[in-house]
Amino acid sequence: MSLRVLNPNAEVLNKSAALHMNINAAKGLHDVLKTNLGPKGTIKMLVGGAGDIKLTKDGNTLLKEMQIQNPTAIMIARTAVAQDDASGDGTTSTVIFIGELMKQSERYIDEGMHPRVLVDGFDIAKRATLQFLEKFKTPVVMGDEPDKEILKMVARTTVRTKLYESLADQLTDIIVNAVLCIRKPEEAIDLFMVEIMHMRHKFDVDTRLVEGLVLDHGSRHPDMKRRAENCYILTCNVSLEYEKSEVNSGFFYSNAEQREAMVAAERRQVDEKVKKIIELKKKVCDGSDSNFVVINQKGIDPPSLDMLAREGIIALRRAKRRNMERLVLACGGEAVNSVDDLTPECLGWAGLVYEHVLGEEKYTFIENVKNPFSCTILIKGPNDHTIAQIKDAIRDGLRAVKNTLEDESVVLGAGAFEVAARQYLMNEVKKTVQGRAQLGVEAFANALLVVPKTLAENSGLDTQDVIIALTGEHDKGNIVGLSLNTGEPVDPAMEGIFDNYSVKRQIINSGPVIVSQLLVVDEVIRAGRNMRKPT
Amino acid sequence: MKEIVTIQVGDFANFVGSHFWNFQDELLGLAGDPSADSVFKNQDLNMDVLYRSGETQQGILTYTPRLVSINLRGSLGSMSSRGTLYTEIAHTKPDVVTWTGKVSTQASEPYKKNLFLRRLYEEEENLNMVNEIHDSNNGSQSAYQDKDIIECLENGVQCWTDYSKVHYHPRSLYELNGVWANVEEFDNYGIGRDSLAAQGEEISDRLRFFVEECDHIQGFQFVVDDSGGFSAVAAEFLENIVDEYTNIPVLLYAVQGSGSRPNLQSKKHTILGDLHDAVSFSRLSSYCKLIVPVGLPSLSESKASRFLHIVDEKHYHSSAVYAAALHSISLPFRMVPNGPTADACSVSGAVDVHEVVQMLSGQGRQNMVSVLDVAMPAPALTGGQNELSLLENMQPLTPQIAEDVEDMQAIEHMTVHGALASEGHRASVGEVKDTVDAAFRCANTRPMFCHLSVALCPLPIPLPFPLIFGNHVGQHGELMGGQITNSSPKGSLDIHSIPMAARLRSSSVVLPFLESKLRNLNRFGIARGAAGAEILRSWGFGREELVEMEEMLSKMVVALRPPHLSSDSD
Repeated sequence: MSLRVLNPNAEVLNKSAALHMNINAAKGLHDVLKTNLGPKGTIKMLVGGAGDIKLTKDGNTLLKEMQIQNPTAIMIARTAVAQDDASGDGTTSTVIFIGELMKQSERYIDEGMHPRVLVDGFDIAKRATLQFLEKFKTPVVMGDEPDKEILKMVARTTVRTKLYESLADQLTDIIVNAVLCIRKPEEAIDLFMVEIMHMRHKFDVDTRLVEGLVLDHGSRHPDMKRRAENCYILTCNVSLEYEKSEVNSGFFYSNAEQREAMVAAERRQVDEKVKKIIELKKKVCDGSDSNFVVINQKGIDPPSLDMLAREGIIALRRAKRRNMERLVLACGGEAVNSVDDLTPECLGWAGLVYEHVLGEEKYTFIENVKNPFSCTILIKGPNDHTIAQIKDAIRDGLRAVKNTLEDESVVLGAGAFEVAARQYLMNEVKKTVQGRAQLGVEAFANALLVVPKTLAENSGLDTQDVIIALTGEHDKGNIVGLSLNTGEPVDPAMEGIFDNYSVKRQIINSGPVIVSQLLVVDEVIRAGRNMRKPT
Repeated sequence: MKEIVTIQVGDFANFVGSHFWNFQDELLGLAGDPSADSVFKNQDLNMDVLYRSGETQQGILTYTPRLVSINLRGSLGSMSSRGTLYTEIAHTKPDVVTWTGKVSTQASEPYKKNLFLRRLYEEEENLNMVNEIHDSNNGSQSAYQDKDIIECLENGVQCWTDYSKVHYHPRSLYELNGVWANVEEFDNYGIGRDSLAAQGEEISDRLRFFVEECDHIQGFQFVVDDSGGFSAVAAEFLENIVDEYTNIPVLLYAVQGSGSRPNLQSKKHTILGDLHDAVSFSRLSSYCKLIVPVGLPSLSESKASRFLHIVDEKHYHSSAVYAAALHSISLPFRMVPNGPTADACSVSGAVDVHEVVQMLSGQGRQNMVSVLDVAMPAPALTGGQNELSLLENMQPLTPQIAEDVEDMQAIEHMTVHGALASEGHRASVGEVKDTVDAAFRCANTRPMFCHLSVALCPLPIPLPFPLIFGNHVGQHGELMGGQITNSSPKGSLDIHSIPMAARLRSSSVVLPFLESKLRNLNRFGIARGAAGAEILRSWGFGREELVEMEEMLSKMVVALRPPHLSSDSD
């Protein structure tokens, strides 16, 4: 081989070996992830070498946990993770769809078909399927008052694949309400405005939605109140701690008095800032029973805390940057960067502010706010891996609801779309294609069935029976999905099983792209660096 | 009190950090041990600067480092990333409460704990079981065990947790996941880029946790392994820090293990390595006020290890030396200030991070790159005639620096601790100061300014310290002349503590280091048809960015060049 002449260390895999390496990698990933799929899938408990436990049913999390080494597998994993980044769900479906496409291709290639022809067929099939998806999707109108029921159904479909039913149903309400809370007319939904906070405390069913904000820190002064009602909230980004200025670095004083004077002068500047806040507090609170809370992104040092505490002000320091934005959305007012122009209009308002202490962790709840555009989902659970898993599920649910609001349409789930699309490709599209590319369309159509097949397999049903029943029912003109409890065809709309349109589109788009790339690889060259460990 | 939060990014940085925290833990232990040497009793060091007090949900008090450590997934060995302090009362069986369907468990084989960790674990168990008997030294049988433990560590350290005896807070250890590259491949700036993307917020949050509880933070002590992809991770993290905590100074140590780069086989790899170093240095230095490059290509052959016996391939060895130097430099940050006249006590010369950074990098030349020198162990103040004095014994740990360069504008910050006056007798703070003053007075080359911090307390040698001392070193770190017996290197069983001296030096000796970075960036990255242009593009650097880096580097170089030279070359 010519490459060997150039570099004796190079390793070369020829055409069929290269292809099989790619196919095997895809099949490997497929096999790992396929048991995840659907509400009857298997949850995976990963126990690390040091005893760390991780629970997941999420393809995305699982991929990231795996120490993937195979370059092809890494390519597929990156596609799948990109899928999650883009639409929030469908990682598992992407991987198993890619795996199945490779499997189907293998059959044809082993019979002597050129990969190029298959790839052409995939391309035709992909475009046809996307067109079909446009026809098949169920439009939903999302005016000012979105249909809460449909949102709940979408969220429930997602969350039920990650958590047991009653918990999933409880979370569904929380998720839908959270997204509707932060939704502003004429603006894109920013899911970051839903804070997800967790406490290792009590049980998973104690998870709740807080209309308002939960901060993961408390005040740092013993005399500050732990609970206050009718609170004005000042959100600010002002340093209230003594900082050395750049010019004086502590070595260039001629005597100790000078140093003292310098320090005192700088301290005075900080005190001035604190006094301005106190002034504002007196202005708005005097003569009423209302309270005053300062939430600062910068630090507040003990002398400043002292001054504030003496005036009955509650102060929190070093708030998360993102919380500055959330606070203003939840409580109103505006975030100020300087204390020079403080006015009562800058202040937000909350009916109740209180602190909750768990060991060394403190939480500050800001609740009973008026008309919030930010909220917090407070996850509770007995241990870290439970919390982490609920958190993953909630993220997916939030994304699903957001997608639905933005897509203004949903797709029937439970495999209904895949069965319908397959029949469409086989019965209509295939005929219009000239020559051997037909086989590519066929392979693509059969690969689509991997979703209902895997759902059936995970539920302990016979895949052949299920597919025959489904296609049969479909050809009678009904839209059918698979009931995982009975194994019988059902109408997903009746069961309330809906998937995201954008997720489906993304899967159909990205899967064939990567498969086409992998199929037309005819040589794998490993040159350059020796992959083996030195020493 | 002024707190320091420590950040360790990357494999070798954590090796160094592990030794560093072992020293702190040893100091804490000795301070509370009635049978320990009295210098450890009243150290006048405030450990709260580095440590935080906490409480678990069960109400047990804890004392853990203020630390955020970042490493690749799977690099923690047998240690759990959440530590053991805060774990909930162990359930008999981990049950899955969130799923009623099938569960498949995939357990990786538990890591075998080495002898040292097993012993730590057992000690803890015993402490919980029998509280009344103070098992001070487990008698003769433990000496035998200790020997085994040391041997086991000497041959078997794989990751930094293998020799760590410190309890970490559950928020301290962070594992980067989803990188999908093994450690050997994670070796250049490009591959580390963007790997922080999704996890950046989580890491910043952890840092915020430690910063929020500081009443008045004096600075960050940031240690980064800049030999590979972690410099990109660190640069991104630093950028966040500068953004979020604008006025808090960062003292950055860029550490590299000896021979951390595998034998480069081809020209392409040399270029890759050189470019990485140049890019990583200029990126990191642009986000901090003071950067200290640490890590000689071959520590064992350097002058710094005159009394030491280092095996370069073992990170466990070299990191111990660097950690000792870092420990010495950090002492003045936590000295309890006593006012200018209190000479009799055990410390003098307290400064904070801000002052050190200003002192070294804020003066005339604005030189932000400092050199780290160390004398390990520091010689006795009144040593024999044939021995080198303290100043002459200071040897650099920073690579690629010039020797014997006279720099009139040099600025130094020196820490000497635990120094011995003569055999067996510990020098007082005043004596040390006088000796150093005298030494400066008669030295040929003198820095413009030198700040000296002195402490009585020597560097304690904890049990898991490697066998790196040569046979000239005595039990208290004294240097013994004459007898040359070819015995094996000594470790913590023979040596209990050593005097140390370390200094940070802002001087033009660092010029060759900077010039080589500038040259490499130019030759391989920017020049027309440069061999590495393609690599840099794949790392995501546009031409403008590169030119900017080049300008920054050349500014640093010009500032340090002696005036007549710079006028020639321009």
